[in-house]
Amino acid sequence: MFQNRKLEILTLIGLAVFVVLFIIVSGQSGHEFSGSDDVGSAKIAEITGRSVEDFKPLIPQYVPPSGEIESTLFALQATFGGVVVGLVIGYWYGQRKRPGNP
Amino acid sequence: MHIMEGFLPWQWCLVWWIIALPFVIMGIVELRKLIRKDREFLPLLGVSGAFIFILSALKLPSVTGSCSHPTGTGLSVMCFRVSITALIGGIVLLFQALLLAHGGLSTMGANMVSMAIGGPLVGYWVYKLLKDTSVNIYVTVFLVAAVADIVTYIITSFELAVAYPAAAGGVVTSFVTFFAIFAITQVPLSIIEGLVLALVFKYIIQLKPDLIEKLGVFSKQQIDGALGATVQVPAGTV
Repeated sequence: MFQNRKLEILTLIGLAVFVVLFIIVSGQSGHEFSGSDDVGSAKIAEITGRSVEDFKPLIPQYVPPSGEIESTLFALQATFGGVVVGLVIGYWYGQRKRPGNP
Repeated sequence: MHIMEGFLPWQWCLVWWIIALPFVIMGIVELRKLIRKDREFLPLLGVSGAFIFILSALKLPSVTGSCSHPTGTGLSVMCFRVSITALIGGIVLLFQALLLAHGGLSTMGANMVSMAIGGPLVGYWVYKLLKDTSVNIYVTVFLVAAVADIVTYIITSFELAVAYPAAAGGVVTSFVTFFAIFAITQVPLSIIEGLVLALVFKYIIQLKPDLIEKLGVFSKQQIDGALGATVQVPAGTV
């Protein structure tokens, strides 16, 4: 029965390795798991010899006032995507099951 | 991979915007053409776009001890080519620039060139290269998605390197520095992204092989070959 589930198994193994690596890495000290965007920005500051706060937005922008609000907005973004994927896959699945439809 | 608002000099913002705009405009033209031609592709377009939305919202931890997000552009570029992907990717980046302060309007040109154009373009070359060979189509999808992901971050490193050459060693040294931050972090993430998109692609061709065939993504023989290996359940028996 595993013959036709090769890709699923492979993906699960990949995800498992990924999680185990994360657990190992996060067990070591000195890893903050900050965003690579922020690490990149800090590196720019280092190269130019200016402080990160020195880089003022060229175009004023809205900044989520807290991490909570930011995570809500990110969750909304993912939810929107998830709804669309579920809707379409479900619609296709329903089409296939309709009698008289090959 | 977002370059934060204010972190690119305005001259470079302008350069990347000028490079990005034609692709987005082409994307609008292509999308209108596609919609006028056949509306049955719209659900697939929705799924392709939705994956860019989902995957670019997921900040995943990597072995380097920092977090980064996959791009999800592989599916879209295979099914709908580069310009439409540029448009969809641009919409995602606009959302993140306006509401999340991830990237910004001035740096959006640069971010589009890396995530919505450059990465997908190289992914598309990989697809073109493997499309008519005997390579398993899931392997092709895996490679397209993974390459589009990793190249996005290589281009970001390049964009930052040309804007901020190191005092000693110039652009090359700078590139190596940013490459270490962005691209190395991205390697495990792009592998995961490739696996997940290959799996999603399997479900798409199980449900709608005709769409993929009509778009000319893969030939009927290739799709049947891949499905044959996975045993199709006849409709109505489930």
